[in-house]
Amino acid sequence: MARAVLGRATGPERAASPRPDRGGRVAHLDRDRALVEAAQRDPLQFDALYRRYLAQVYSYAYYELGDHHEAEDVTERTFLAALAGLGRFDERARPADGEGASTFRVWLFQIARNSVSNHRRGRRRHAEEPLEAAAGVADPLDVEARAATRDDASAAWRAVAKLPGDRRRAIVLRFVDEMSTAEIAGVLGKTEGAVRVLIHRALRSVACELGARR
Amino acid sequence: MTFDRDAASTDALLTDLYLDALLAGALLDDPGGDSPRLDPAARRAADRLRRDLVRVHPSFRFEERLATRLAEAAVAMRMPVAAGAEGRVVALRPLPGDTLDRDDPATDPVETAGRPGLDAARRNAGRPLLIGGALTSAALSIAGAAYVAWRRGRPLRGDPMARAARVVRAARPASRRSGVLD
Repeated sequence: MARAVLGRATGPERAASPRPDRGGRVAHLDRDRALVEAAQRDPLQFDALYRRYLAQVYSYAYYELGDHHEAEDVTERTFLAALAGLGRFDERARPADGEGASTFRVWLFQIARNSVSNHRRGRRRHAEEPLEAAAGVADPLDVEARAATRDDASAAWRAVAKLPGDRRRAIVLRFVDEMSTAEIAGVLGKTEGAVRVLIHRALRSVACELGARR
Repeated sequence: MTFDRDAASTDALLTDLYLDALLAGALLDDPGGDSPRLDPAARRAADRLRRDLVRVHPSFRFEERLATRLAEAAVAMRMPVAAGAEGRVVALRPLPGDTLDRDDPATDPVETAGRPGLDAARRNAGRPLLIGGALTSAALSIAGAAYVAWRRGRPLRGDPMARAARVVRAARPASRRSGVLD
């Protein structure tokens, strides 16, 4: 599958420092600002934000839940909640986030993260299927099975799936959704330093896991 | 201990810088690059994850179905408020020097509960009407006018005859009361 690089500022654009505007305030850094404001004026304009972030939110949910149907369910809840709450969205971009950062994306992924948590809780509470089937649904190895034809991808995912929750989430947000450390910190509610350490340790764990398989 | 923590933070920062470059595509031609201080194993793992952890896309059918649902929700959000909700409460016969303002907490039935003095002062005042919303349509205007006339002719709660009528009505068996309008 071709890797789609969506919505990530690269190179000089990313490295550029934020510009103060005429009023001396820090210029807004949210690259989605125009789209968000349009959607706040007219909810039908939300479609542009939806198309931009659909694959990212879906991927996050898929890597978290390991099932396409459940990922679709969480994705749907996330975007419906985002649309309903868009009027309350408050942009708080920081210079440290860089010009490529998007506070809307951080906000959206916070909703997605909560939706995944709620979905997991509901899955535990309403476990009506036989244990074997439920285990099959919950098991991240489902992802591995779908990628069975791609041994490398399967091994990589298996290594990531073994990571503890926040390390796994940080890796997925960094590599799949291509978020900056500042954005991940916003989504996970941690400091940037903590996120850096999380990712560094996660990479070492993945390295050990992949090394052990050779 | 502090030294270890600093070293870990430094390693984490180096890894972060490496990932920034890797994900920005700056190292596509030379994955691994020149990062002598970066742990080689972590670097290899990063390169591997960069290559193998792909973004997945939902089905086109799901995308369009959700887009339709969002559009429906957006249309519902754009609809004007329900008929009648745009009306405002005014006094049919305001008290001298008094205006019945909907935003005034004193006119809020919840706010005025437990304040009998204020309630008694308003007892003989005109009853509030909802205008502008319900009475704008011709059909509703006729029904509304009939309702207002009926309400105006109905005895107030404090009237002795009304109390007597309610007592008599309450004393009658339920079967005889059915279908009788109060």
